[in-house]
Formats: sequence, structure tokens, C-alpha cells
Amino acid sequence: MVVRYGKVVVIGLILWVGFGRARAQAPAQKAGDASARGTDSGKRVFSSAGCAACHGAQGQGTALAPPLSPPPLEPQAFVAYARHPTGKMPPVPVATASDRELADVYAFLKSIAPRDSSSERLQGNAENGKKLFLAYGCYECHGHQGAGAAIAPRIGPPALSLAGVLRYVRAPTGQMPPYTAKVVSDQDLADIYAYLKTFPAPPSADSIPLLNQ
Amino acid sequence: MGKSTKNSVNRRDFLRTAAAGTAALVVPPAAATATPESARTASSPPLLKAAVDGSLSNVEVLTVDRPGSDFMVDVLKSLNFEYVCANPGNSFRSLHESLINYGGNRAPEFITCCHEESAVGMGHGYAKIEGKPLLVCVHGTVGLQHASMAIYDAFCDRVPVYIILGNFPDAALRFGQVDWTHSAQDPAAMVRDYVKWDDNPVSLEAFAESAVRAYKIAATPPTMPVALVAGHALQEHPVPEGANLTVPKFTMPSPPAGDAAAVAEAARLLVAAENPVLVTDRVARTPAGLASMIELAETLQAAVIDRNGRMNFPTRHPLNMTEHASATVAASDVVAGFEVTDFWSVLNSVNGQVYPESHRVTKPGTKVISITANDLYLKSNYQDFQRYTAVDLAVAADGEATLPLLIEAVKRQMTAERQRAFAERGGKIAVAHQQVMEAQREAAASGWDCSPISTARLSMELWAQIQKEDWSLVSNCQFASRWPLRLWDFQKHYQYIGAEGGYGVGYGAPASVGAALANRKQGRLTVSIQNDGDLMFAPGILWTAAHHRIPLLIVMHNNRAYHQELMQIQVMANQHSRGITNASIGSVLVDPPIDYAKLAQSMGMHGEGPIANPTDLAPAIRRAMAVVKGGDPALVDVLTQPR
Repeated sequence: MVVRYGKVVVIGLILWVGFGRARAQAPAQKAGDASARGTDSGKRVFSSAGCAACHGAQGQGTALAPPLSPPPLEPQAFVAYARHPTGKMPPVPVATASDRELADVYAFLKSIAPRDSSSERLQGNAENGKKLFLAYGCYECHGHQGAGAAIAPRIGPPALSLAGVLRYVRAPTGQMPPYTAKVVSDQDLADIYAYLKTFPAPPSADSIPLLNQ
Repeated sequence: MGKSTKNSVNRRDFLRTAAAGTAALVVPPAAATATPESARTASSPPLLKAAVDGSLSNVEVLTVDRPGSDFMVDVLKSLNFEYVCANPGNSFRSLHESLINYGGNRAPEFITCCHEESAVGMGHGYAKIEGKPLLVCVHGTVGLQHASMAIYDAFCDRVPVYIILGNFPDAALRFGQVDWTHSAQDPAAMVRDYVKWDDNPVSLEAFAESAVRAYKIAATPPTMPVALVAGHALQEHPVPEGANLTVPKFTMPSPPAGDAAAVAEAARLLVAAENPVLVTDRVARTPAGLASMIELAETLQAAVIDRNGRMNFPTRHPLNMTEHASATVAASDVVAGFEVTDFWSVLNSVNGQVYPESHRVTKPGTKVISITANDLYLKSNYQDFQRYTAVDLAVAADGEATLPLLIEAVKRQMTAERQRAFAERGGKIAVAHQQVMEAQREAAASGWDCSPISTARLSMELWAQIQKEDWSLVSNCQFASRWPLRLWDFQKHYQYIGAEGGYGVGYGAPASVGAALANRKQGRLTVSIQNDGDLMFAPGILWTAAHHRIPLLIVMHNNRAYHQELMQIQVMANQHSRGITNASIGSVLVDPPIDYAKLAQSMGMHGEGPIANPTDLAPAIRRAMAVVKGGDPALVDVLTQPR
């Protein structure tokens, strides 16, 4: 097919892979459910799918890949990322691990996280988080409702888990500035996280007439 | 022009003759006119008596009917300037007067500006629409100092602006303190590092030649601003008796096109490539450049990444992969850059926050071709030339002029087999393009109903109103997350004109008005998404738009801050671990809030807002558009998300 502007007839399957907004199949089991059967399955898949080779047998991280326990992403984002990762991480195809099995992996990684870790301990206060979100300048790049912009991703609702946020803001990548504990405490971050969780997922573009012009 | 018949006496001769009687000349005008001639002759001081009875011949002639500035206007008219933008200044007062009276205030027509930076900024925006320079007059020293940032922006953006600056070169002819303060030995020195050429002619003959030469230099790629000094005596004093002044013939040089062998080699690399990528930035100087880029891309069925210095390639063209640039370049085996300002950044990635660390993003063995007129001319001091780019083939030539030759060379080298491969490649790119566009739409949905209003929502509310018009977006939309470029259907050359070039804030508002001035005669609907901090540099440009009835729809991206700097201060505060609650000191515009609607109204414009509810936006834009369609500018103030 030769592409001519204004005359193109694209023949072929358009793959909705997402480019930055990955869509995952709805997991049959809600990711993160830590039933004994789920964690056992998750442990097995974590090894058989090759996750442990880079992330360590206990998801503790190695020189090759970051720690995964506790999981740095929210359950649905965890599955979506496994399907369409960035950097050196290879994609995990459905043939290797179904959505259900990835949910089990998530449950396993969550189950082996230390009980006294900050992310397990902290209870966020969304009202205080809203104040901190503005005071600490999060809105400057991510927008007042965390909707994101060209320079920074959407964080409301967050794709990262609280554990992931606590880890990332201390040692971020790209243009995100580092927030040391001296500047923002873990409790502050838990409050901001609770505030970001209050936002619903964005509507689909198809539901907005102005985005279908 | 006619010859002067008046006596030519310079001021120094007059003063020498009249010094003794100066005090006596101070007679109240009413008393002098009321006195009968006989009585006046009898009782007048000696000098006045001599003047009346004709015995004093060496007296200052107070009128000049053939000033040098009239001849300057003849020369400038030969260059077909439509407008002259200026803030008035006495170092070019004679030229100013000649333009509006002797020249009839037509071609060029005088556009009153409230700041020299605005005048040059208008010239910057105008040239990118019109494809030719605007004339700008600036006052000696202080006026040029005001203008200098805008000149630098135009220089970095490779845009021609034709600047005439006044001066009082002969100290003996300066009338007082102000003239001295507004004089310089070498007036253009302060901008010499960022104009392509300047001159300081000392005769009208030399002025004429330099004026024509300056235009040719400015408008020949790489196009840039030029500065020409017009001394005050050269303007104000009469054309010398018997002077044989002529306006030199003006012939525009053809732009420099690529060497045939180099173009053939570029074609060979592109035809042989499996995944060539065409990277554009400022290649489409004119509509012909845009058409050529489309033809080249379609001939090769190659992906295009537009850096958007100009409107180089349609945003919804199936071969446009701008929004997936890094991965597209990483997968390529030949990268061809067409007038790319910062080619190095296309080929490399920079990481790190304290110290930059870079790595090449292209695969080993990827061939790189550069076609740019920037290889023909560089200045030393200012570092706008960017990091050195290692390439395999460098064609030192104007991109737009070289494109037709390259297209022909590609067609000559294409085989049926390659054409089949091209077609297959094009189909894959088209599919990927659709995926990219879908991702943009989904991203735009995030925060759709937010208040303050998301920049995506602002952009699409505006697009809904203008898309059926003959529209032209004349503002840089980088600070609005580039939503128009990501979502709108840009097809025509005048629909986007790029950015400031030198990242100098204060460009946006005047360049938009200048572009609107060029669009006016075409009946286009000119639109700008105006950053609040930028407008506050010189808001008097709104009065210029209103006064000269320049139709322009301004939609404010009012994020209430110098937001880029706010983020930078936050980064520093974070790096220094000193807390970030003070980061807004010195970088936000909130207390008191600036009412841009009232600001516009105070300048005689339609203004409404601030609008914080997204559902109020469409009706406000419609009302403002009605004003603009009536021939006037209008402003809608919108409280927005930061980016």
C-alpha cells in the first residue's frame, strides 16, 4: 500500500497497544488478592516466567532490575506494564503468563514484603494530601488534579503503589526532581497518595465528542 | 525626487554669524508680528534689522524641502516593504516624517509600537507568514537595547528582520544631552553578534547601496536580521546640491541549493535504506517547502519527524511519526535532517539531573545525512549553533531549495523492487501513526473536566470553533503540552510558524500580532494561545493590535506563573534538600491576580474572562471570534493547568 496524504486507505489490523496508556485484559482474579492458592501460584509463575532471573528470587532486585517486593505498581498497572514494558524489560506474553497468573505474581510479591515496611504501615489522609500536593509543587508538572502533561505523566489515580511512590520519589529518573525525606516525609507522601487515589480513572477519548473531531 | 532650490547653510555657520545677536532675537512672537514694518526696522536690534532688509545672507535656513530621508524612502519603497514597525525616536525622526508624508504612509505603512521589542517581534512573526522581511526602525542606543532580545530571537530562528537604527554620529551636530546619550561610535555593535550583517553608511549613495545589499543578505538563506544605521544628519540635511542619486536595482539571489554529487549520494542512501527517517525543523520557508517535504516522504514512503520550527509536514499525514520520535529514530538505518537546528538531540539522549550524561540512540551503522544552510554561516559568540553533530553526509545548502533536486535524484534511483518495499513500509508506518494518534486522544482525555482548565481541553474547545475556518495558529504551543500539534489537523504552511528561536520570553504576543498583520489581507482567522508571562513583558502590543485593527483571536493560557522557572526553582530546592515551599517566590503571578480581560479592554479590545469552568469556554470563544471576524482583535482569558 502506498500512502498518499488525504487518499490513504489503511489496510491492516490496528493494534491497540496503547503507546503510554497500556490496556490490559481485566484480570479474572483481582490482582493483589493474597489467597494462599494465589500466592503459591504466583511464586511458581514468578520463577517459571523468568521474573526471578533479573529481579531476584524474592523480588528483592538485582543489578539487572529493580526490586518488585513490595510491588511498585498498582495491580492493574502491574499487569499492563508486564505486557508493554519500557527499557530493557522484555514483555511478558499471555502465553507465558495469563492475566490471572500475573495477578498471582502480584499477590506473591505483596505477601513476601516485610510487614513493617512503610507502605504497609502508613495510613494516608487525603485531605491533608490535597494541601501538600499544592504546597510541595506536585501540581507544577502533574497538574492540579494529577492529570499529567507533556512533561510529566498522569498520577491521579496513581499507577504506582504506595511502595512504588516511596521508592521512586527518593531516587527518581528523568526530569522528576528528588524529594528527600528531609523535604517530604513518608507520612506526607502517604497523604498525597491518598489524595491521588480519590481521582477516578480518566474517561475514554471515545466518550468525549471534542476528541472525535 | 526633485532638486532642492533652497540655500544650504549648516547650523555651525549660522551660529558663528549670529552669535552676537542671539539674545536680541528673543522677542515675543506676538509683539513682533503686531509691530508695523517701518517701526520694526527702525527699532530692531542689528541682526534682526539685517535679516529684514536682506543685508544678512548667512542666516540659518529653517526649512528643507529635499531631506536625505526622502531619498531613503525612495530606496526603501524599491524594496517593497508593506509595513514599518517602530516606537518613535528622534534619532530617526526625519525618516519617520518622510515615511508618513513624503512616502504617503503607504508601502510601508507606519505601525505604532509601544516597545522596540514589540516592533522587532512583529517583524519576526510577519516574516514567517509572509516570507519576506518587515522594516523596523529603532532609536539609537536605548531603542536598540530594547529591541535586542527580539533581534536575538529572530536570529536564532533564522528569520529576516530589516532594522534601521538612528544615530547622531557627528558630535558637533548634537543638540544637547539627550542626543549625546542616544549616540554611539558604532551603534550596531551591541547586536553584531546576532545579526547577519550591518552597516553604517556615511553618504546617501552608500546608504542606497547598503540598503539594497542588506535586504539581499537578510532574505537569502540562511535568513537572519540585518541592521543599517541612518545618521541623523544624513536623514535631516538636504540632499547635496548636484547629487546624482539613484536607487540601485534590486535582484534577489537564488537560494543556495545542494551540490549535485552530494544530493545524488543522499538519494542513494535514502533509496537503499530499509527504515529511513526524515527529520524536519525549519525546512519549509515557504509553502513550496511543505509541498516538497510531502512529495519526498511519499516518494520514499518514509517516516517523518517534525521538530516544528515551521509547518513542515501535515500533522495527520499517515507518515507523520512526530509523536513517536525517539523509537522511530532508534529503529532507523538512515536519518536525514532538513534544516534541523539541534540535530544532535535527535540522535542522542541526555540523562541526569546534576551532570548531563548522553548516549547515542541510533543503531550502530545508521547513516546520518544533514542538509542545512546553517553550514554556510555561523557566528562565534552566542552558542545557538548547538552541539556538533557527527554526520556521514553534510550538504551545505538551503533545505527547501535542495528538496526538488533530491526528489528527482530519488526518483531516478528507484527501482520497481524498491518501490514495492517502500509501499510495504508505508503501510506499516500508517498503522503505527494511527496508534500514535489514538494514544494522543486518550492522553487528552485525562483531566478533561478539570478546573483550572486542562490545556488539552482548551486546545480542543478552540479547535472545535476554528476548524471550519481558514485558520492560522501563530503561537508556540510547547507550553500547552503541544496539544494543537498533537491533535489538530495542520495542513497548510501558514497554519503554524514555530517558536521564538532563542527561547526569549516576550516573543509570543508581538510575533502573533505581526503574523496576524500578514494574514489580514488574506482574510485568515489568526489564533494564538498566549502565555500569561510572555504577554506581561510588553502588553502594549494589545493596543497596537487594536489601534491598527489587526484581527487576532487571543486565548490566554493563564497558568499564573513563569511556570518553566517555577519548576526549575523547585528542582534546585529539591536538589539542595532545603524544602520547596518557597519555590514560588519570584516565579508566580498570583497576588494580585492579573485580569487579562480588563487589560485587553483598557487597550480598546474585546476581552472576557477569566474562565475557569471548561463549559464556559466555547461560548466565550464564539463571542470573541465574532469580534475577530469583524476585523478587530479579541482576548479570552482562561485559567489553565500549568502545562
